[in-house]
Amino acid sequence: MLLSIRNLVVRYDRVLAVQEASLACEEGGCIALIGANGAGKSSTLRAITGLVRPSAGEITFAGERIDRLGPAAIVARGVSMVPEGRRVFPLMSVRDNLMMGAHLRRDEAAIRADLARLLDRFPRLAERIGQQAGTLSGGEQEMLVVARALMARPKLLLLDEPSLGLAPMVVRDIAFLIRSINRDDKVSVVLVEQNSRMALRISDHAYVLETGRVALSGPSHELAEDDHVRRLYLGVGAE
Amino acid sequence: MTQILIDGCVLSANYALIALGITLIFSIINLLNFAHGELFMVGAFMVYYVYGVFHLPFVAGLVVAALITAVIGALFEKFFFAPVMRSSTREENSMLLAVGTALLLDSVALFAFGHEQRGVPDVIPGVMQIAGGFLPYQRLLVLLVSLLLVGVLLWFVQYTRPGRAMRALAQDRDAARLMGVNVERTSMLGFAIGAALAGLAGGLLVTVQGISAGAGPAISIKAFIMIMIGGAGVVGGALLGAVVLGFAESVGYSLLPGSETYLLIFVALILFLIIRPQGIMGHPWG
Ligand SMILES: Nc1ncnc2c1ncn2[C@@H]1O[C@H](COP(=O)(O)OP(=O)(O)OP(=O)(O)O)[C@@H](O)[C@H]1O
Ligand SMILES: [Mg+2]
Repeated sequence: MLLSIRNLVVRYDRVLAVQEASLACEEGGCIALIGANGAGKSSTLRAITGLVRPSAGEITFAGERIDRLGPAAIVARGVSMVPEGRRVFPLMSVRDNLMMGAHLRRDEAAIRADLARLLDRFPRLAERIGQQAGTLSGGEQEMLVVARALMARPKLLLLDEPSLGLAPMVVRDIAFLIRSINRDDKVSVVLVEQNSRMALRISDHAYVLETGRVALSGPSHELAEDDHVRRLYLGVGAE
Repeated sequence: MTQILIDGCVLSANYALIALGITLIFSIINLLNFAHGELFMVGAFMVYYVYGVFHLPFVAGLVVAALITAVIGALFEKFFFAPVMRSSTREENSMLLAVGTALLLDSVALFAFGHEQRGVPDVIPGVMQIAGGFLPYQRLLVLLVSLLLVGVLLWFVQYTRPGRAMRALAQDRDAARLMGVNVERTSMLGFAIGAALAGLAGGLLVTVQGISAGAGPAISIKAFIMIMIGGAGVVGGALLGAVVLGFAESVGYSLLPGSETYLLIFVALILFLIIRPQGIMGHPWG
């Protein structure tokens, strides 16, 4: 397993956000975390990247415990996260935003090559390379934060609600992009989504979080057929 | 008229160093540095000792001023501000601490440097005449070195990796951490550079105005005025604030007797803040 989480507990003062959750993602895999608001999805991702320190439990990445490390050390090991809400650096140019993704890298020639390749892949970003990131549209900002995360050359990419607030057409582009990052670039993916339909279609394995616990897990196509999931997360059935 | 223009330029350039320094600290660490004027004063005394007393080159004095104030800034950040800001969620705590550091430097300075007003001999003697105005070479030197330092700082923040990390940290702390920015080190570096800018401003201006151990608070207030005019946390605002204050002073001193200039500046500032409380360019740092 590339990433494995065992009995993770995340606590903020009195709030217990994640309670003994266990999940795993194999090398090259794409797993989805779905669940209602406040289920603990973001908290799980924040614990993986070291933005919050787990109160208990174990997180291993590529065979190494990472749950006591800070974000910089975790990024350096190959975990990149695209946080909730399109957190571009609003007053920086598109180029500087992308270069921030390569902040810890020192292979200048390879960084330039990666930048050029990403700009080919995202022509809309290339057209706006000198523009302030805060002035981009929501869809463009989402592209930018994903591209910025790729500039770190991650082995594992964590995405927190990339489709939130985007038009259906753009959501399709994003879904296509995530699949291509997973299949073509061979980057493993943990996808957190409110759009459960999209998440279950893209991922090969999924976890349903309910009040901080893993309520259900299994291959995504099986979960998509599950009555409980269909009723609560896909909004079908219950006639 | 020409004289007002000349003096305004010299003051503005020097004040720009002060305003940029306090802006840097404000945007990265989220702290209004009450000890900024004290750092200016320490820098001025370093030049007084190295250049004025020990007769080493003026440049050596500036280097010592920058280094000492940078170290003071870095130590303040690491041992005072970082622990307090980590453990407390109330802004008043770090603000009180900032006032404390100012008082600390004030009393140490009074003890170490004495209460006399000090000055240094001209680095370059002589006066230049331009269109009916006088520009002593000394002031020309202050002007040019200040402009050079402002340019170096802007280049650093805009085009280097640590500079970019500072901007990232100022704009979105968590996103910056996710890029691998080392918050502790970058905050220390930001405080050190901001402090060194204050020290350099003092080290330059001591050659024109002299210095005394009690000069700190007045300079801090000038720094606050500048960022209030321009808008806190914005580089462009800091520069604008410096130009406005520099020229207000040079106009005021040539037309009015003594202390009335600052009285008028305060009145104008209050009126201005009623109309535009966020300053001229007030929004987060870029
Ligand atoms: N910084 C914080 N301080 C205190 N409580 C928090 C904090 N962040 C999250 N929580 C609480 O932890 C619980 C889980 O939050 P989390 O953000 O992980 O949920 P989520 O599944 O990502 O929800 P959403 O779909 O709305 O983004 C919630 O009850 C939330 O109120
Ligand atoms: Mg969330």
